Amino acid sequence: MKKYQLGEFEEVVTLTVGVLFPDAYGVSVKLEIETRLARKVSVGALQSALKRLEEKGYLKSSEGEATQERAGRPKRFFTITALGKRALEHTKETRDSLWASIPKMALQTKMIGL
Amino acid sequence: MNSSPQPPRFMLRFFRWFCHRDLVAPIEGDLHELYQQRVQARGKGHANRRFMIDVLLLFRPSMMRPFQPFYFINPYSMFRNYFTVSIRNILKYKVFSFINVFGLAVAMSVCMLIILMLGDRSQYDAFHEKKDRIYRVLSNYKNSRQSYATTAFPLASTFKAEYPVAEETVNLTPGFGGDAVYQQRTADMRGYFADGALFRVFDFELIQGDKKTALTQPYSVIISRALAQQLFQNENALGKTFDFSDRQLSFPLRHDGTGSPAVAWGTFTVTGVIDESNYKSHLVFDALISASTQTALIAEKKMEDQSNNWEGFYRTYTYVLLHPDHTRDELDAALQDLAIRKYKNFTSETTKDFKLLTQSLPEVQLDLKGNDTDNRLPRIGYFFLGGLAIMIMVLACVNYTNLSTARALTRAKEIGVRKVTGATRRALLTQFLSESILTSLLALVMAGVMLIFIANAFKGLWVNQFLNFELPMTPGVYVAFVCFALVVGIIAGAYPALKLSTYQPIQALRNSGNAGHGKLGLRKVLSVSQFVVSLLFITTSLLIYQQFKHYLAFDYGFASHNIVNVELQGADYEKVSHVFGTVQGVSTISATDIIPATNRNDNCQLRKVNATGDYFSVGLLQTDENFADNLELKLLAGKKLPAGTSSARFILVNEAFVKQMGYATPADIVGEAFESAWGKELWEVVGVVRDFRFKLLLNADVVEPLAMRNTANYHYANIKIISPDVMGTVAKLEQKWKTIDNVHAFHYEFFDDQLAGMQAGIFDLVSILGFIAFLAVTIACLGLLGMATYSAERRTKEVGIRKTMGAGDKSIALLLSKEFMKIVLLSIFIGAPLSYFANNLWLQTLPNRVEFGLGILVSAILILIALGMLTIGSQTWRAARAKPVDALKME
Repeated sequence: MKKYQLGEFEEVVTLTVGVLFPDAYGVSVKLEIETRLARKVSVGALQSALKRLEEKGYLKSSEGEATQERAGRPKRFFTITALGKRALEHTKETRDSLWASIPKMALQTKMIGL
Repeated sequence: MNSSPQPPRFMLRFFRWFCHRDLVAPIEGDLHELYQQRVQARGKGHANRRFMIDVLLLFRPSMMRPFQPFYFINPYSMFRNYFTVSIRNILKYKVFSFINVFGLAVAMSVCMLIILMLGDRSQYDAFHEKKDRIYRVLSNYKNSRQSYATTAFPLASTFKAEYPVAEETVNLTPGFGGDAVYQQRTADMRGYFADGALFRVFDFELIQGDKKTALTQPYSVIISRALAQQLFQNENALGKTFDFSDRQLSFPLRHDGTGSPAVAWGTFTVTGVIDESNYKSHLVFDALISASTQTALIAEKKMEDQSNNWEGFYRTYTYVLLHPDHTRDELDAALQDLAIRKYKNFTSETTKDFKLLTQSLPEVQLDLKGNDTDNRLPRIGYFFLGGLAIMIMVLACVNYTNLSTARALTRAKEIGVRKVTGATRRALLTQFLSESILTSLLALVMAGVMLIFIANAFKGLWVNQFLNFELPMTPGVYVAFVCFALVVGIIAGAYPALKLSTYQPIQALRNSGNAGHGKLGLRKVLSVSQFVVSLLFITTSLLIYQQFKHYLAFDYGFASHNIVNVELQGADYEKVSHVFGTVQGVSTISATDIIPATNRNDNCQLRKVNATGDYFSVGLLQTDENFADNLELKLLAGKKLPAGTSSARFILVNEAFVKQMGYATPADIVGEAFESAWGKELWEVVGVVRDFRFKLLLNADVVEPLAMRNTANYHYANIKIISPDVMGTVAKLEQKWKTIDNVHAFHYEFFDDQLAGMQAGIFDLVSILGFIAFLAVTIACLGLLGMATYSAERRTKEVGIRKTMGAGDKSIALLLSKEFMKIVLLSIFIGAPLSYFANNLWLQTLPNRVEFGLGILVSAILILIALGMLTIGSQTWRAARAKPVDALKME
């Protein structure tokens, strides 16, 4: 199970990078997560997650163009690597198999219990 | 881009500082982009806030740049290594370390004494809450030698009324000194007239009484606790009344002396008691009398009215409390403005270019002015002692430098290895400096012990009874000591550290034996200068000692042996003479107003009657008819002063007077009349005596003209004792004194002791300079010892070989000491003429000086050579005597 380490927020970030392909960079990822998931994302949290993901080899980055509104700083575009794709698949499979294994009773009793 | 709003610069700079290099550009871009979006959406304020939050949230380990490699090295272990190496080096070369530590300690203890003195003095007047705003006003005129601490009386009130720069002013007027009497108990009471403003400026607290009202009513007085104890003993002093009669005793400087006959001033009420022992201040007094009392005394004609006298600026002390909104410059300008306005109409010599200057309270402590309120070391004294201390300190630092560079060869290999294994020059500098600092800290400990002795010796000096140095050890002083030790360590170690750390590892490791560092060069220069300074000190102290002995053995021209001078303290001389005359063992008694050849003089202006020329200044002694006989003054012509009250018109003069007035022989002047510049009275010369010294030897080179006159105004009785039991006779005199005056204690001094006492200050100078000379020589010799030891050690093998080849002990010793004897001889060559001329500079200005013969110089040189020889000889002789086998065996 320790093969692919991917935290919840890391998973969200990696998926969003995939969603935004090929225009995934700091601001776009942040805004995408904020609109889609309706949760606040700080630049710090996002950037450290991106850095971690890159270090783990799930993402790779390349420098893009600089614009005036960015005060002449380049964008850093992220794309998912093959390893990243496998990590995502692994996570999804794990979840699916867990979903599949839940007996129907379990969810129903819960509703009765309520 | 100019138009678009920018995020807060400091946050951006902070972000750039901490953020990882690889990430900084894209993330900064993101931040900018978000910032611009937020400005559009919610405005600049919101965007700024969010920007700051973002940056702060980015400040997390994963975002930070990696630390530079050296951040990860724990500097503690490096310092511990320096420390260990230093300790090992100190222990390995015990002789050198001891010489270094001891030399530094000796010099540091002297410097620490100066720090103690400054620390002591800085405690004075530190208790005033407004001390930063209190200024003393000084008076100064064109040709005055110094500024005076006193001012004109009306200054304080005028200044406060006319200039807003002063929040408050206060006058302290000395002007009373006499006997306070309460139920047969009498006490000496001297002090100032002051008003309530005193307490608005200074923070003296009363232990009894209300300081707001204590000085309002006339005839009210605040007394010190000591005086209260003396007068009222255990009774409650507050509200008590006592009688005061003024004898014009000197104040604020308490000369011995006698004052004038008592004038009853009336009854005073105690309105306050002050505990003077709580306050270290330059203002010391027994009592403060309300200023309004002066008005009453003026009305009774017991005091002159000074309230509108701007010319007499020697009457009162003025202190100004600066208004908090104004600066000292404004105060100075205001005082100068006042001085110009008030003094432009006066024409006398002492008001020309009259200036009013200011002194802050700390400046008061370290700078003595004319007419000052207490005796303390003047600034020149600090400079003098500080100069000596610094000179000694430099000598000791030179020692350290010399010995450390001399040992460079031994250390070269260590330096080479360190450099090869990657030590930077800075690391080596730190290492050597930490070694020298460690040495100076060790020296500090030793100096602390020495200081106890030096400080006690200093406190025991004659002069300290006037300076009142207590030299307490306060925490501030300790901090100053440690800082001082650190500075000394850095200064002493700077040159060796810079020099040693430049060694090239290759050369250092190859160790070619004497890679240019065996030469003496700079070290020779430093050593020579040490000995030159030592020689200068030795010569100077020998010379001053000779001068001291010369003064002690001086022939004053009168007999002072076994004469006891008794203060009359207002008692009637006729009665005293009569009573003491009956005491067994007393031979003759005479009277005078001033003890001749001590530090007081009186003058008058005389010229020949009916002459038109200038008046001559002539010394004046008021004596009775027996004075000349009692002091065995030799009569050359005429007769002695006659007795009786009608004799005031006769004067007895000296030879110098005869010469000054232009007479050929003493006989010619007898019977001539002279007129005085003041009284226009005629004085007739009745006789001429041989010249004798009536002024201080230090003040007058030749005997000046003198007139003695009998006006029955005496302050001292001179009692000659013939009994072999001198002290027994004095005891009998004391018994008899009680029948004359049971109020005042018997005050007497032997004339010989008084004359010798006048030279006590010179003896202090001899002690100080002698001590400094001793230290200078010690340090210089220690340095020489260190170098000789080192050189002998380095040449052990050479000595061994030479001895096997047949060299004798003597030739070896000579060989080894040649280098150092050259140093000593060279320094004598330079130092001897230097000390001769330098000492002649001051000696020529000294009255009654000794002959500065070559004898003094020769003995100084001999001392230096002897010490030098002893130092070098002890080492070289040992090296020369060593068995060659031992020297050659070791490898």
